[in-house]
This record gives sequence, structure tokens and C-alpha cells, in this order.
Amino acid sequence: MMAMEGVVLKLPSFSQLVNPNYFSNRTPLKFRFNFPKFSSTASLSVPEAAPVSLGHSTRPDFEILHQKVNNGSKLVYLDNAATSQKPSAVIDAVNNYYKSYNSNVHRGIHFLSARATDEYEMARRKVAAFVNASESSEIVFTRNATEAINLVAYSWGFSNLKAGDEIVVTIAEHHSAIVPWQILSEKTGAVLKFVSLTEDEVPDTKMLQDLLSKKTKLVVVHHVSNVLASVLPIKDIAKWAHDVGARILVDACQSVPHMVVDVQNLGVDFLVASSHKMCGPTGVGFLYGKSELLAAMPPFLGGGEMISDVFLDHSTYADPPSRFEAGTPAIGEAIGLGSAIDYLSQIGMQKIHDYEVELANYLYENLHTIPGVRIYGPAPSQNVHRAALCSFNVEGLHPTDIATFLDQQHGVAIRSGHHCAQPLHRYLGINASARASLYFYNTKEDVDDFIRALVDTIAFFTSFK
Amino acid sequence: MNSAAASASAAGFRPPTRPILPLPPPNSSNPNPPRIQFKPNHHSISTRSIQISHPKHVTPPQPPYLSTTLTVPEKLDILVTEFKSLPEPIDRVKRLIHYAGLLPEFDESGRVESNRVTGCTAQVWLEVAMDVEGSMRFRVDSDSEITKGFCYCLIWLLDGASPGDVVEIRVDDLGEMNVGILPIRASSRVNTWHNVLLSMQRRTRDLIMEIYGDHSSLSLLH
Repeated sequence: MMAMEGVVLKLPSFSQLVNPNYFSNRTPLKFRFNFPKFSSTASLSVPEAAPVSLGHSTRPDFEILHQKVNNGSKLVYLDNAATSQKPSAVIDAVNNYYKSYNSNVHRGIHFLSARATDEYEMARRKVAAFVNASESSEIVFTRNATEAINLVAYSWGFSNLKAGDEIVVTIAEHHSAIVPWQILSEKTGAVLKFVSLTEDEVPDTKMLQDLLSKKTKLVVVHHVSNVLASVLPIKDIAKWAHDVGARILVDACQSVPHMVVDVQNLGVDFLVASSHKMCGPTGVGFLYGKSELLAAMPPFLGGGEMISDVFLDHSTYADPPSRFEAGTPAIGEAIGLGSAIDYLSQIGMQKIHDYEVELANYLYENLHTIPGVRIYGPAPSQNVHRAALCSFNVEGLHPTDIATFLDQQHGVAIRSGHHCAQPLHRYLGINASARASLYFYNTKEDVDDFIRALVDTIAFFTSFK
Repeated sequence: MNSAAASASAAGFRPPTRPILPLPPPNSSNPNPPRIQFKPNHHSISTRSIQISHPKHVTPPQPPYLSTTLTVPEKLDILVTEFKSLPEPIDRVKRLIHYAGLLPEFDESGRVESNRVTGCTAQVWLEVAMDVEGSMRFRVDSDSEITKGFCYCLIWLLDGASPGDVVEIRVDDLGEMNVGILPIRASSRVNTWHNVLLSMQRRTRDLIMEIYGDHSSLSLLH
């Protein structure tokens, strides 16, 4: 078994890292692209004349996308904001861990344990490099982004917030970025202040600035909205927060998988993301926190690994990140996340982003032309780039009915509901919306299939009226 | 889509035989239809007023039973058989949407927070009352057509049933109605009709509690 090279380079080039799992045994598929299309070592001869889109070139890596559902329709998976699919490389990495070197990490002396620890800590370094953290100890592995936010709320929040302090959030936040602060404010007497939207349906940054004051201790914002598809100017917001002496926590769940995110450049204090939205397994996510902040934070969960010495009447605690990683971690899953980062980096986050901007525009333009469709969030333009997702409603139809018919009749998977953003939906005056969300392995054909299916769905329901 | 038989003798809807208030004709222009009262005073039955707006369409699922009154278990069998006969999930969707159009009128005044069935992705309002004969009466509305279809089936099943029957029916019995090849067994926000049924049962129990003071009388009310 080839040993993994331990060289971790900063973005953008991860080409030195060779993932041995590309060569492990797998069920053969018709097409096999083991390398990006421009690699000279590709075993298939790709005709130079016809450039293949990123969606087409990566699809073969995702076995799950090649199936029929329900009434025999081929699956069109457009629910990526909920969770992403995993390339074979990631699935193989997790399998390989369990097959070859599964062992508890950190204090084992034996061969398997040493190997597991190496790979686990390598995954941490990969995450650190992926977001350009200054050191890997600034990455705390958690179960998911929600747990990461709760970690900050309980650990940093309780020891830094008191009655009268203010936390500024937007009404478009995911519930995980609202509820922990509500719980915290109930217990400490801190106050939540909400930023609403502009007419263009983006968070009102002017209002955010106005809400900031000496009382503000924390600003919690999303980077990319999972409903509005809008992108916030994090670098600016971080600066404004710091100007009043506040910290900033960024929910990067919808940005880290889709674009270059550089925590040092953005200047954020805390950042959270989930593995499962970026081609990694479920069960692992991470918190990025500036070293000096983490060092001053008390523990979140108590138990093994996060301690230094344990006595009967007291214990001393480990340094970060271990201080916040109680118990046996999701070792295989973290390694899977590392493998996902390798996969994404080999493609290149800028390339992924550029392709998704194209897809985002294509989706928006086509959806926009259907009569009766109302898309939420800003309209795309030169200055306004939307994420590759659209939350929408169709006049006179319930989104759940739309999603059910799309699924049953056409194999198109979208989401309907409030997408964990009830305050936002209430603000927009709706109970629920439908949402189609894309990732780099979707193609324009997927969008075409969706649009066709949606038109048919609308016609179907209209015929009953 | 319109049923000709708005007759109470069709299996299913059993309007009270001795209504307190005259039922308005289907196209009544009465701007203030009497409303279902939710806290019946059992000391003076005559003050209990029930408005069962006579159903627009009374078309039970196939086959129609014209003269017999079916028990809830019998109706359940019919319902399950009907849905089992539709192997393609899309046909179930179509059937449910057809039923959605048959749902009786739901008064605007019923769309209040206290009537909302919580925990659903669609909005559902449920009115629960007891008629003069002690049977449970239900009216449901929703902003989702598919949900309305499910609710029609629940209404057909349980409107006019005894409180005991309402409370005894199990969510599992209705599993066949699930749209989709892999029925979602777990209770979640997606399983709106689970929530509606549970709400019907809970509010039936509450009503019994209010009237009779305890639940044990449920077993007597068959």
C-alpha cells in the first residue's frame, strides 16, 4: 500500500499529494477519468476540439448520480445545499481506513494507531491549508457546523458575554446560527439584534453597520445564504466588527465547498463549515478559531482527550484543539474529509467557482422565464454573483406539491420547506419555498431537465384547477 | 369532478340526523354561517350548535356503497385496497389531487392559529367538534393539494365516527396511503397526514376529557 506523501502545500496547488485510493479496486464504470481533463497521463484520449464542462468530467466519479428512481426516471440531484454527493476517492478513503488501519488515535503506541493518528492529523492540516489558517491547531474537528457554532456559544459565549452585551445576526441566518445565541442570551442576558433585508433581498449591510456599537460583542453572519444565494462582504463586515471591538463568526457552510475561502485574508475570528456539504462524509465538520481566542476558551464537552491531568477533585485541560475534542473522534470521517479536500483541490476551487457562476446564471435565467415563478434573493448582474441555487415559489402551488411531483414523475430531487430559515421565510411573507441547488458535478443538462420537469409539473397541477 | 350525489346516504359522511340548526343549501348566500362550537356545554345540549356545511361532493373512494353505513375498519380496508391498487406512486399523487378537489368547504374563520396542525411542511387547519349524537366531526384545509387529498381520505374515514374509533386507529394502518415507493415510516414534518391524524386523535381526547371528565368513557363511546 502506497504511503501517503506528507507534504501539504498551500492553495492552490495540491498536485504533489497523490491519493493512493485512486488505484484501489472499484466496480468498473464505463468512463474513468482519474485525472483532470488536461492531464497528459489520462488513459483515455479526450478529443481536444470539444471542451468538456466540469460537470461532465467529474460526473463519472460519482456513482450515486447514475441511477434511476421512482418510475424509472434518471436521478437529477439538485439538493446539494442540503448535502453533497461523495466521489469514489472519498468513499474509498473511508473504506480503506476501516479495512487497513482503523485504530484509536493519539495515544496508541502500536503500528495501526500511529498510522491512524498520522492520517487524522494530516486531515486536520489539510483543512487548515484549505482555508489558509495559520496553523493546524486552529482547526477543531466537530460533528458538524451546528456543533461548531454551539461550541463557540457555550465556550466563548458564556465566558465573554454578560447582560446588556449585543450579538448582531441577520434574519437570513440558518437556525443553527440563531438558536444557540437565543439560548445563550436567555442565560446571560445578552441581546440579539437582527439585520433585515434590502429591497434586493440581500442582508442590509448599511443596517448592520448602524447596529454595531460598543455594546456589540459578536457578529454572526453567513458567507453565502442557503436560501437567497447572496454573498456577504465578509472582509468588510469583519473590519466593521473589529472597529467596535466585536468578534465575528462566519457560517461558511455554503461557501467553503464552492469557492476559495481564506480566513486570514477575510480576517474572521471564527468560521464553521460541514464536511458533508463539500464532498466529505457526514459526521464531521470543523471550527476555525484564531489561536489566541481558542487558547482562552474553557472546554465545551468534558471527557477523554481534552484533559491534561485528571484528579478526583479537579482536572487540568489540554491545549486547543484537543481541549475541544472530547472522546473518540470520527476518525475515518475526518480522513474522508481530508480526501474530499484533496479531490476538490485537484480540480481547483477557483475553477469550481467559475463553473458554478456559469451554472448559477443558467439556472436563474431559465427559471426566471417560467410564468408564475418567483425567485428569492438578488438578481444576478455584473456586480452581484449568486450562488448556484434558487429558492422559489410558483403562484398557486405549494412547494411540497411541486417537489413531490418533480420527484415522483421526473426523478428530480429538490427541497421544499423552510430550509432551516423560518425567520427569513416569515420576513418574506411565505411559509415555505422550493429550492434547487447545484454543485460542480451538475451540468446544464441537469438544469434543462429540471426546467422541463417544472413546466410539466405546473401544467399538471394547473389542469386540476 | 363534481359528484351528483350530495346525499347523506352515500357511505362516509353522516350529517347529524337531528341538526340543531338548519343546514344551508350548498350555494347558500348566508354571509354568516353558524360555526362549529368547540366547547359544548353538556348541560344544555340544545345550545350546542354545529354547522356542518353540507359537503359539496360526497364521493367516497371506489366502489360506492350506497345504502350501508360502514364501520371505520371497513372503510380503512376500502381505502387501503384502493391505494394498493395504484402501484405507481404518480397515480397515487394524481388520486390524492383528485380528492383534494372533493374536500368540503372550510370556513375562513377556521384558519386560526389554534386550529393549525403543527410540525408540517404544509399549513394545515383542523376543526374538531362533536355533534349531537356524540360522533366526532372534522373539517380540514391546507395550502397543499396533496395534503388536502390525504386529509380528504382522513375525513372520509373518520368524520362522523365515534370518539373511540377515532382514537383507536393507528398511523400504521394508513401506511399504504404513503406516496412513494419507500414509505417514510418515521414521523417527520414531511408526513403531514401523520400529524393531522395525531392531531385529530389528540383533540378528540381533549374534547372527551372536557365533556366527560376522563378518558375511560372513550371505551364506552363506540
